Amino acid sequence: MNVEPATPAAIIEAVNISKSFGPVPVLFSVSMDVRPGEVHALIGENGAGKSTLMKILSGFHDPTSGQIRLDGEKTALPANGGAESLGIVLIHQELNLAEQMTVEENVFLGREIRSKGFLDKAAMRAAVQTYLDEIGLDISPTDRISDLTIAQKQMVEIVKAVSRNARILIMDEPTAVLTEEETDVFFRQVEKLKKSGVGIVFVSHKLNEVKTIADRVTILRDGQWIDTRASNDLTPDMMAQMMVGRELSDLYPPMHEADIDAELVLEVDNLVAPGVGPVSFALRKGEILGFSGLIGSGRTAVFEAICGLNPIEGGSIKLFGRDAGPMTVAAARDQGLAYLTKDRKEKGLLLDKQMQPNLTLFALPKFVKNFGLDRKAEEDALNRAIRRFDVRAKDRNITVGKLSGGNQQKLLLAKIMECDPKIVIIDEPTRGIDVGTKQQIYHFIAALAAEGVSVVVISSEMPEIIGICHRVVVMREGHITGVLTGDHINENEIMRYAAGLKREDLQ
Amino acid sequence: MTMMTASDDTATKQAKRPSVDFKTIGPALALLILCVIGFMLNPAFVSEGNLTNLLTRSAFIGIIAVGATFVITAGGIDLSVGSMAAAIAGVMIIIMNGAVETMGTGLATVLLGCGCALVLGIGAGWINGALTTKGKIEAFIVTLGTMGIYRSLVTYFADGGTLSLNFDIRGTYRPVYYDSFLGLPYPVWVFICVAICGWLLLNRTAFGRYCTAIGSNEAVAKYSAINVDRVKTLTYVIQGLCVAFATIIYVPRLGSASASTGVLWELEAIAAVIIGGTVLKGGYGRIGGTILGALILTTIGNILNFTDLISNYLNGTMQGLIIIVAVFLQRSDWKLGKSK
Amino acid sequence: MLLKRTLGAVAAVGLLAFAGTALAQDKIKIGVSYPTPTHAWAAGMNWHAEQAEKRLEALYPDVDLILVNSSDPEAQASALEDLVSVHQIDALVVLPFESEPLTDPVLNVKKSGAWITVVDRGLSQPGIEDLYVAGNNPELGRVSAQYMKGRLKDGDNIVVLRGIPTVIDNERFDAFMAEIEGSGINVLDHKHANWNRDDGFEVMQDFLSRFPDIDAVWAQDDDIAIGVVAALKQAGRDGDGMFVVGGAGMKEIIKGIMDGETLIPVDVLYPPAMIATAMDQTVAAFKSNGPVAGRYILGATLITPENAESYYFPDSPF
Repeated sequence: MNVEPATPAAIIEAVNISKSFGPVPVLFSVSMDVRPGEVHALIGENGAGKSTLMKILSGFHDPTSGQIRLDGEKTALPANGGAESLGIVLIHQELNLAEQMTVEENVFLGREIRSKGFLDKAAMRAAVQTYLDEIGLDISPTDRISDLTIAQKQMVEIVKAVSRNARILIMDEPTAVLTEEETDVFFRQVEKLKKSGVGIVFVSHKLNEVKTIADRVTILRDGQWIDTRASNDLTPDMMAQMMVGRELSDLYPPMHEADIDAELVLEVDNLVAPGVGPVSFALRKGEILGFSGLIGSGRTAVFEAICGLNPIEGGSIKLFGRDAGPMTVAAARDQGLAYLTKDRKEKGLLLDKQMQPNLTLFALPKFVKNFGLDRKAEEDALNRAIRRFDVRAKDRNITVGKLSGGNQQKLLLAKIMECDPKIVIIDEPTRGIDVGTKQQIYHFIAALAAEGVSVVVISSEMPEIIGICHRVVVMREGHITGVLTGDHINENEIMRYAAGLKREDLQ
Repeated sequence: MTMMTASDDTATKQAKRPSVDFKTIGPALALLILCVIGFMLNPAFVSEGNLTNLLTRSAFIGIIAVGATFVITAGGIDLSVGSMAAAIAGVMIIIMNGAVETMGTGLATVLLGCGCALVLGIGAGWINGALTTKGKIEAFIVTLGTMGIYRSLVTYFADGGTLSLNFDIRGTYRPVYYDSFLGLPYPVWVFICVAICGWLLLNRTAFGRYCTAIGSNEAVAKYSAINVDRVKTLTYVIQGLCVAFATIIYVPRLGSASASTGVLWELEAIAAVIIGGTVLKGGYGRIGGTILGALILTTIGNILNFTDLISNYLNGTMQGLIIIVAVFLQRSDWKLGKSK
Repeated sequence: MLLKRTLGAVAAVGLLAFAGTALAQDKIKIGVSYPTPTHAWAAGMNWHAEQAEKRLEALYPDVDLILVNSSDPEAQASALEDLVSVHQIDALVVLPFESEPLTDPVLNVKKSGAWITVVDRGLSQPGIEDLYVAGNNPELGRVSAQYMKGRLKDGDNIVVLRGIPTVIDNERFDAFMAEIEGSGINVLDHKHANWNRDDGFEVMQDFLSRFPDIDAVWAQDDDIAIGVVAALKQAGRDGDGMFVVGGAGMKEIIKGIMDGETLIPVDVLYPPAMIATAMDQTVAAFKSNGPVAGRYILGATLITPENAESYYFPDSPF
C-alpha cells in the first residue's frame, strides 16, 4: 500500500569498526547501519562482541579503528551517555534506574521540568502518565522503582527513552526478563516507535522473537561480522547456526522417561509462605519437574520458603520421607537440597571476587580441615569445575563480574553443585545467555537427572520447560493451577493454566 | 585448550602486575618513607629505645584495629571502641580495687581484673552486634549510641575525675606493660599474637571467608547458606575481645582511667584499617595492612615529637596530610587501571 | 480542647511563678552555674561547690544556693534563663563554658537585677560582672619558672609539656618563657600534651629518646606530670636530681609533696576550690558590711612540703 523509498538513508553507520581492550581484540572490522523506522537485530553468542558494538554505537566506548557516521557525517560520539543529546539512547541490560526514586523522577532525571525555579511536579506527572497509558503499563508515576517488578522497570526504561525523543534506541536484551504477555505489549510499543521513524537496535537470544520483530538481522561471531540479512530470508535455525558456526542439532537433550515409581524425595503439603499458597506437590528421585507461570506467580517464593531463605507460615515439608520443618539454608544444604537463584548478579555471585572464593562459598564447610580452609582442595575444586562445566575465562584471577553471562551462569551452577545436592532447584537456568551455553546447561540438567538427582526447573521460557521437563507445575497468583505430564506439556496448555483460563481441582 | 588459555593468562597478568603489587606494598612503602624521614630529622629516631616505644604504643590502636578489620570487612563499623576501652578500664580498676580486701594485691586480683575485662569486652561487642543484626539498626547509629553510653559510664564511675588503681596492685600488674621478653615488651607480644590470630582467622578459615562474602554482597552470602546475622555479630564480639586485650595492656601503663581515656581511638583504629588497604564499605580486608596502618599512625605522632620544624599547632594538619597521602599511594593503581 | 489545656498550663506556670516570688522575698537566692565535670579538675570544682553550699547554708539559714551544671554552652544558657524565670535569683555565680556564647545570657541575668560573679573564664564584654574570681595563669607560669631558676644553674636543660592549645595555655607558657629568659637555662623543646596523662607519657617518652640530657621538666599540669613521671621511671631517668613541676593542686600530688617526694617536689596552685571562694564572696556581698565588688585574682601559690597540708582535701575527687 505504502510506497516506501527503496532504502532510506541510515541514521547511524558503523564502518569497519575494530576494538581492542589492552592487548585483547574483541571486534574485527565490523560494519552495521541503522535506518529510520527499522528494527535491526544484533545476535551472536555471549562474548561475540555484541555489547562492545552497542557501546561503541552509543559512545560509551571509542573504536580502536574505523568510524561512526551520523547522518552520513563522520562523528566522534560524546562519551558517557552524552550521545543521548544526539538522540542515541542505550538501554543497559542492568537497568539504569535510581531504585529509591519514583517513576516520574526517574523519567525526568537530569532534565526536570521547572516552573519559576521549582520543580513542576504536576506537569511531569501528567507527561509520565500519558506515556504509561500509551504503553499500557499499569503503574503510577509516583511508584517507587524498588517496588516494581523487573518487567515493569524495563518498561520504565523504555518510557524514559521515548520521553527523550530518541532517534536511535539501542536495547540490550530487553525481553530477557519479560513474560510472553509483557513481550507482546513491548513489541506493540516497538512497532509504534518504528512508525514514528525511530531506528531500533535490538539484542536478544530469543531467536523466535528476532524473527517476529526484526526487519534486518546482523550476526556476529567471535568479534567477526558474519552477515547482515533481511529477517524474511532467515529462519531461527539458520540464525542459530550462523551464530554458533556449526550444526546445532539438538538444543534439548533426548528425554529419558522418568521412573514414575521412584521414591518421593520432596513432599510439600499445604505450604503457606509470603505470597504463596497453600501449595502441595511432590518430587521424585531423578525427575525434572518444571515450574511455569507468569512472572510474580509465586514460583520463586515457594522454593525460597522451602530452602530456608524466607519464613514459612504453614504446611509441612517432607525430605526423603522425613519431616523437615523450617530449615536454615545451611540445614537444607546439609540435607542435600540446594537452590540456584535467578538473580546471579545480586544474589548468586560475588562480582568483585575471583572465581575460586565464589565456587566454594556455598559448600565451604566441606573445605575445612583442622579449623582452616584447605586451599589445595579449593584449587582442585576449581580445576574440576572449570573442566566439568566448561567455564571459559581468559584469566583465572579476573573478578567474576568481568565474565560473560554464560560463564557466570556456569560458575553459579558449579558453585551450587559443589555440595553434591540430591535435589537442586534451578531458577531461570538460561536467563540472558547464549544458545551454545543453553545447550550445555540443558544437557547438564538431563545428565544430573539420569544420575538420580531430582531437578526443579523454574522458567519463564516455555520452550525450555517443554524441552527438558518430565512434569510441569503451573502457578498463578501464588497457587498451583495445574500439573501437566506427557503430551499435555505444550505451550497452549501451559498458557491457559498460567493465565487462569483453566484450573485443575488438585485436592 | 587449557594450554591456550594459560598463554592468554600471562599477557593479562603482566599488564596488571605492577598496579596489584603497588596496592599491597603501598602501606609498607609509606611506613618506610616515614622512617627515613624520621631518621633524617634525628638519628635518635632509630634508637632501640624509641623503636620499642613506637611498637609498644602502636599495640593499643593496632590490637583494636585488628578487630575493626573484621567489622569493616563484613560491612559494619564500630565507633564505640574508644569509649568501650575507657569503660572496661574503669570497671577493671574498680573490680581490682574492690578485690584487694578479700584477695589481696597479688596475681589473683590482676587475673580477676583481666578476666572481667575479657567478659566485658565480649559482652559489649555482643550488644553492638545483636542490636545491629537482630535489632536491624544501622551499625553507625548503634555504635554511636553505645559510644556515648560507655563514655558517660566512665565519667559516672569516676565521679567526673580519674579512677586510680590501688598502689600495691599496680606494683603486681606493672610488668605487663613495662617488662620485656626476648627484648620485646609484653604489649608488643600481645600485639603480635593478636595480629597472627587475626590474619589466620581472616585469611585461612571459613569464618574469614564468610566475613568477606557478607561485606561484598549480603544477599549472595545469605543465598550461599551463610548465617549472616551470626557472622556479623561475631565480628563485633571479636572487636570487643580485641578492645579488652588492648585495655588489659593499657591499664598497667598509668594505672588509671578517666573520661579522657581512649578518646578518638575509634577514629584512629578505623584510619589504621583503611590506610592498610581494607575497603571501608566492606568485602575486602587486610590484617597485614592494618598492622602497618597502626604503625604509620603512631610513627607520625612520634616524628612530630622529634622535630621542632613544624609548629605545634599544625600537628593535625601533618597527620591529616600523611593519612591522605598514604591512602592515595595505596589506591593510585585504580587510576592506572582506568586509564588503560 | 488544646486551647483549654494550654490555658491551664499557662495558669499553672503563673501560679508557680507567684509562689517563687513569694519565697524569694524570704530568702537570698544565689544560682551557681558551671560545666558538668568531665575531667578531674572540674570534678574537684563540683566537689568544692557542694561543700561550700552545705557550709554557707548552715551558716546563713536565709541563704539558698542553687547548683546547676550543664553539659554544653547552649544548655548552660538555658539553665541561666531558668535560674531567672523559675528561681528568681538575687545573685549568680557562673563559670562560663565559653566566653563568647555566654556573654549575652549572663547580661540578661544582670538585667533582671541580680548580682553577677564570674569565675575563672572571663566574659567577652567587660563590665558585666560585679565580681570576678579567677586563678592567675601568667602567675602560674612565672612561679614555676622562678622555682626552676632556683633549682637549676646556667646551661641546664629543660623540656616543656603544654596543655591544649588555648588562651590559658598561651598565658601560662608565655609568662614562663619570659621569666626563664636570660637565666641561661635551655628550653630544649615544647610540645602539647593536652592536659592528659596518656599524652604526657608519650610526649615525654619521645623527649627522652630525643634528648640525652634533660635536667628538669615543666609539665604545667598535674595530669601531664603523672604521665611524665611514668615515662621517666620507665626510662630509668628519674634519678640524678631530675624533677618535674606540674600545676593545679591534685590531691595525689599534694600528698606526695607532704610525704617528701623528690621527683615532684612542689606544685603550683590553680585550685578548683576557687568556686568556693566565689560563692563565699557572693554571700559576703549580701552579708558583709565591707565592699566586695571588683577583681579577685588568686595567687598561684607554690605548694611546698611546708604548706602542703592546708591545700590537701582527701575527700575531693581531685
